[in-house]
Amino acid sequence: MVGLPYDCLSNPLGAVRLTFEKAVASGSDPASFEGKDWGAADLFHDFLFDNGGLSQVPMLNPSALKWVQPNTLVRFRGMIQDMLGNEFYVGAHKDGDIWRTNKFTDTSQFPMAPSSDMRIWERRLLYCIPVPGQNSWAEFSPEAVKNPYTNSLSPQREKRRREDDATMSDVDMQDSCHELQASLSAKKMREDEMDFQPLNSQKTATEETSSNASLVLDAETKSFSCLVKIYDSPESNLKLNDVFEFVGIFTFDPDLTADKDDSDELTHGFGEDALLHLPSSKVPRLHCLVHRKLAINDFLSVCPTLELKSNAVKELREALVGHLTAVLGNDRVTAQYMLLHLLSRVHARADTIAVGKLSLNLTCFNKESASVFGNRLKLAIENLLPFTHYLPLTVDYLNTVSLSPKKDYNTNRLVSGVLQLAEGSHLTIDETELQAGTLNSTGVENASVLKSLMEFQKVEYDFTYYKMEMNADVQLLILSEGKSNLLPADLILPFQPSSVDSPSEVDADMLKTWRWYLATMRSLPHSIEPDMQKVVEDDLVAARQADRSLGSQDLSRWLTMGRLISASFGETCLTMEHWQMVKELERLGRERLHGNM
Amino acid sequence: MASDSSPANIHGGPLSPDSLASSPIGNTFSSPGDSRRQKRGRRSSYATPPPPPDSRFATPDATPTPSSTNPRRGRGRGRRSSTTPTAAATPSSTDDAPPSSDAGDGDDIDEAPPMYVWGTNISVQDVNAAILRFLRHFRENPQQIEGKYMQAINHVIEIEGESLDVDAQDVYDYDSDLYTKMVRYPLEVLAIFDIVLMDMVSRINPLFEKHIQARIFNLRSSTSMRNLNPSDIEKMVSLKGMIIRCSSIIPEIREAVFRCLVCGYYSDPIVVDRGRINEPTICGKQECLARNSMTLVHNRCRFADKQIVRLQETPNEMPEGGTPHTVSLLMHDKLVDAGKPGDRVEVTGIYRAMTVRIGQTQRTVKSIFKTYIDCLHLKKTDKSRMDVEEQMETEDRANRNDNDFSVDYEDKVEHLKEMSKQPDIYTRLTRSLAPNIWELDDVKKGLLCQLFGGNALKLPSGASFRGDINILLVGDPGTSKSQLLQYIHKLSPRGLYTSGRGSSAVGLTAYVAKDPETGETVLESGALVLSDRGICCIDEFDKMSDNARSMLHEVMEQQTVSIAKAGIIASLNARTSVLACANPIGSRYNPRLSVIDNIHLPPTLLSRFDLIYLILDKADEQTDRRLAKHVVALHFENPENSDHNVIDLPMLTAYVSYARKHIHPKLSDEAAEELTRGYVEMRRRGNFPGSSKKVITATPRQIESLIRLSEALARIRFSEWVEKPDVLEAFRLLEVAMQQSATDHSTGTIDMDLITTGVSASERMRRDNMVSTTRSIIMEKMQLGGPSTRLLELLEELKKQSAGAEVHLSDLRNAVATLASEGFVAIHGDSVKRI
Repeated sequence: MVGLPYDCLSNPLGAVRLTFEKAVASGSDPASFEGKDWGAADLFHDFLFDNGGLSQVPMLNPSALKWVQPNTLVRFRGMIQDMLGNEFYVGAHKDGDIWRTNKFTDTSQFPMAPSSDMRIWERRLLYCIPVPGQNSWAEFSPEAVKNPYTNSLSPQREKRRREDDATMSDVDMQDSCHELQASLSAKKMREDEMDFQPLNSQKTATEETSSNASLVLDAETKSFSCLVKIYDSPESNLKLNDVFEFVGIFTFDPDLTADKDDSDELTHGFGEDALLHLPSSKVPRLHCLVHRKLAINDFLSVCPTLELKSNAVKELREALVGHLTAVLGNDRVTAQYMLLHLLSRVHARADTIAVGKLSLNLTCFNKESASVFGNRLKLAIENLLPFTHYLPLTVDYLNTVSLSPKKDYNTNRLVSGVLQLAEGSHLTIDETELQAGTLNSTGVENASVLKSLMEFQKVEYDFTYYKMEMNADVQLLILSEGKSNLLPADLILPFQPSSVDSPSEVDADMLKTWRWYLATMRSLPHSIEPDMQKVVEDDLVAARQADRSLGSQDLSRWLTMGRLISASFGETCLTMEHWQMVKELERLGRERLHGNM
Repeated sequence: MASDSSPANIHGGPLSPDSLASSPIGNTFSSPGDSRRQKRGRRSSYATPPPPPDSRFATPDATPTPSSTNPRRGRGRGRRSSTTPTAAATPSSTDDAPPSSDAGDGDDIDEAPPMYVWGTNISVQDVNAAILRFLRHFRENPQQIEGKYMQAINHVIEIEGESLDVDAQDVYDYDSDLYTKMVRYPLEVLAIFDIVLMDMVSRINPLFEKHIQARIFNLRSSTSMRNLNPSDIEKMVSLKGMIIRCSSIIPEIREAVFRCLVCGYYSDPIVVDRGRINEPTICGKQECLARNSMTLVHNRCRFADKQIVRLQETPNEMPEGGTPHTVSLLMHDKLVDAGKPGDRVEVTGIYRAMTVRIGQTQRTVKSIFKTYIDCLHLKKTDKSRMDVEEQMETEDRANRNDNDFSVDYEDKVEHLKEMSKQPDIYTRLTRSLAPNIWELDDVKKGLLCQLFGGNALKLPSGASFRGDINILLVGDPGTSKSQLLQYIHKLSPRGLYTSGRGSSAVGLTAYVAKDPETGETVLESGALVLSDRGICCIDEFDKMSDNARSMLHEVMEQQTVSIAKAGIIASLNARTSVLACANPIGSRYNPRLSVIDNIHLPPTLLSRFDLIYLILDKADEQTDRRLAKHVVALHFENPENSDHNVIDLPMLTAYVSYARKHIHPKLSDEAAEELTRGYVEMRRRGNFPGSSKKVITATPRQIESLIRLSEALARIRFSEWVEKPDVLEAFRLLEVAMQQSATDHSTGTIDMDLITTGVSASERMRRDNMVSTTRSIIMEKMQLGGPSTRLLELLEELKKQSAGAEVHLSDLRNAVATLASEGFVAIHGDSVKRI
């Protein structure tokens, strides 16, 4: 499309309106638009993906919140933390003889006469938060977010304001678009009566804004959240705990105080409305035009265009194992296992069994080594994976923390717990601090929640009257003194460092490649040739004949390891060589385990 | 008042039939004129602007009615509005007429020109007549002299009730057109319904003051909360869900009395009009006529109860990866406090939407609607039945009313019945049970029997026989016992999963606790009581303390839990099947010890288990290979499409729950005879000389078990009669379970090579074939009493005969051993001799 009469970026609503009018003009009945798109989404899709508009869309984060204008296009990356149900709104109404649409806005742009004909449509509300445990490097690199509005500042503010007033009464599409394009910042000021400051003095600006707005703004990313309104998307596309990128129209009124709490309980039926607790003055709204699910790869700032050539991958793998070995005090076997662990993911579920998980329990930590290597390992993992968590397990912690998410019926919200994690998160549980003590009922519950996460990759969400299991996919690493009985891992490995030298610094580019390596290899498909399958089966039978204590879980673990070793070499098919490596690795692990007992 | 245009009745305005009846002076505003007034009210809302905010003075701080002001605004906007209301002809005078003059209004309708429900072509008169016909003439069966609802109305009048429950199914049966209208235009039709009722009541008993309103229930289709969408607004819907929150009771003003501050004159009661009280601006007393002097007298006002309840989707309606949806319900009068949080209910009501205002005092409305359901009828779903039925959503409809099969349900039942007719249903179900746990066919068969259960029997004398089957799994570690438990737990209608180590006696049964706030003693149920009519899965049974285990004695036979503690003496039902699993003493099964010694549980408890499975891990290359294949397949094949012949979980639960509810098999004579014969046989075997106490002997409990098992087996086939094959299979299951065929009765030890658990039918057939082939070879090649032959030679011969198929020495060994036990050959080391 050449010469768009509107700017998708700064006046997306104009674009929506235009397409709507076009569709109505072409003879479609607005009533038939319910739950359908009349071309607006296609338009934005073209603009964002085919014309490279995506990179121009500012990313919504706490700092961007200060300068992003309402009713402009923004994008937001986050995890769906809660679903607030559906909302009915006036989708289209008749203003005189002209059909207007309210899609993608909170309030009508045109006055709605009470008597006018209208259509009610519905949209879904999703409460999204930044992905829990996101490491700073995985955040959207700030240099990419240019503030396009910093330059259009206030000398002509007064004038703009007047013009703007004029535009408001002017319903002419072209004109208003033009105006909006030029005077967005002014318009915002007009609406908000808020002083607009250049970027560097924003701190003061925010402090001056109403108290409840600052709640969000100064509490850093933790409390930052976004209410995303989804239009016309089948329910099954968006699931709880999925990580998405939403591109849509931003609305946020830090000044809106009108619906503050002079309304008593009854008005809202005991505050049943979750929205009441998320007023638009605190939580920005995003009317989603386009959304897409994100994979870990999308969080890498640079994607090295390395081919999956076996040599390059081999070198990368070697370098990474070397790095891990250094981090782990020259324990190469552990490093090998660690690599496999970092590559694991649940790739299938058969009944209660989660296939593909490989939780690792490193034992033989003592006080000193735990503090040295625990921290080092934590840092190393943080540098390699986008979403990581670290849980120091103590009796106190278990007794107080709420691990599993819980539904709060007072606010009708799902209160997030520590274990509400996005797919592919990494969780390190440090058990070395755990002392003998009594667990109270919360503690027992927490322990069983952790255990079920370990065993089945499932987290029970507490809905008071019943519990609901949600599938999870979390890599679990346990550091403990002896074998952890609380948390039965797939793999138990005594950790045997031979030096405490701190590893040499790794340069940033290397880290980037490794991140890419882990993310890419992890998502590789995997298969097996029939004759290889035969070999594997024979080996399993032979192993079981030799050692009756091997259960199906052990055999299953071997296959998982086989898969991961293949993947670590960038291959999608299990080969004899890699299978031998599995057996060798398993032998080393066993030797260690028995030597230790 | 006429200027007040906000569409009335969203929240408990007179429109909702609930509210109509609620006030003791109900007839003042629920008279026939009311319906017209309502319609007119709605119409006028499009024409006139909303009143200025300050006119809401009638809602003083102390009377918390603002909730009703909110909705008023938005409602009309939600409706299609362009058509000119045809009901405009209604005389407006009825609105202002004093309540007393309404009495004869019922007749108006007949005389008035044709009226149509606003925006539709539904004629008020037609509907009126249809309802009248329905109420007068509906009969459940032709023999009845008086119509069902005429009886009901008379009954309501007798007990001075306030409402008449109307089964929507009856309406449908009598007049499907009326049903459709009622569901599509509930507000209008229900208003007419109430008028007709009023009319009928006043004809029967002119002195009857109360207003009777119709409560519709049992709609033909119930909507899922998730599927409510804009097109359902203003329609009658029926929903199932769980109450999660109830608000406190909100008094809603219905009738207000004002007093003049100047002269003390009391105004006549002013009735709520479209959710609003109009405060008189001038004192009504002729002598006074003071302006703006009227004040509300709270004590003399009338209030009605209102409550907001939140309903949440039940877990099984939720798709994967979703959170439950909720919806608000508005309850009036009698329905207030009808349900408590945690109750599972089915609700019939009208789906409503109202606009949200930006602020309390602002007139501007957002373009957003809030939705709620004006509740007409609430039915608690019976708890004990509930969970069983919930597995199959439509199930309880059948239970409520036999005629009430929805098409959907009938289809499903048809399908189930068809399934049951398949000859291989037993094996198919077995295969579908925990398909990812490999082999263990006989154990799965036992578990299947447990799921289906036998018939509980209660004799008039008070003695009762349980129908629940208890199973104990004893076996080596790593034989996927726990997975089986998990699976059953997931499948069973109502089950709890506990681990023996973490369970105490009180945790399993019931305990008395003191309420920390009130100090009252309360009885808290434990796992067994909670899984009443379900399956209680207890893992690590052997690690349970003896004390806790002994509590199970009562539960497992009498199916009750008795408590005598802290002044509470109670006996609670615990009609639970127990599925326990344990490791043998010393973690691994010791073949040198007898079965009993290995299990090491008190015989009193053991005898209460119908089936005790020994799942032994045997070093057998074949089974290992199958395990290996299974594991490899798990990793490399798409688990979703691994086996097409497997019945999926929802179907399986539906099958089980249908069978449990509807099939109650009885013993046929033939089967009974077989049972007796088999039991005697078993007893004899138990009394084997020298058997001492090393084997589990048959006790009278065993015959009960056998009956239960055969009943369950008949149930699996949806058969009303227990046939001989069922009994035979029951015997087989019992034998296999204890590995009795492999037990050496003189020592009580098991011959490890003969273990049959986990051997699938095909495998068993293969072994049988092997035996017969071997037999024929021996017959051919060897002389009676002739020289012995080495096993390897036999193997060669076998391989020749069964070309292609793999033959292992171990298989041959087994076969020969079988032959030896028959006395056909004798084995000496590696050589075989025919005798």
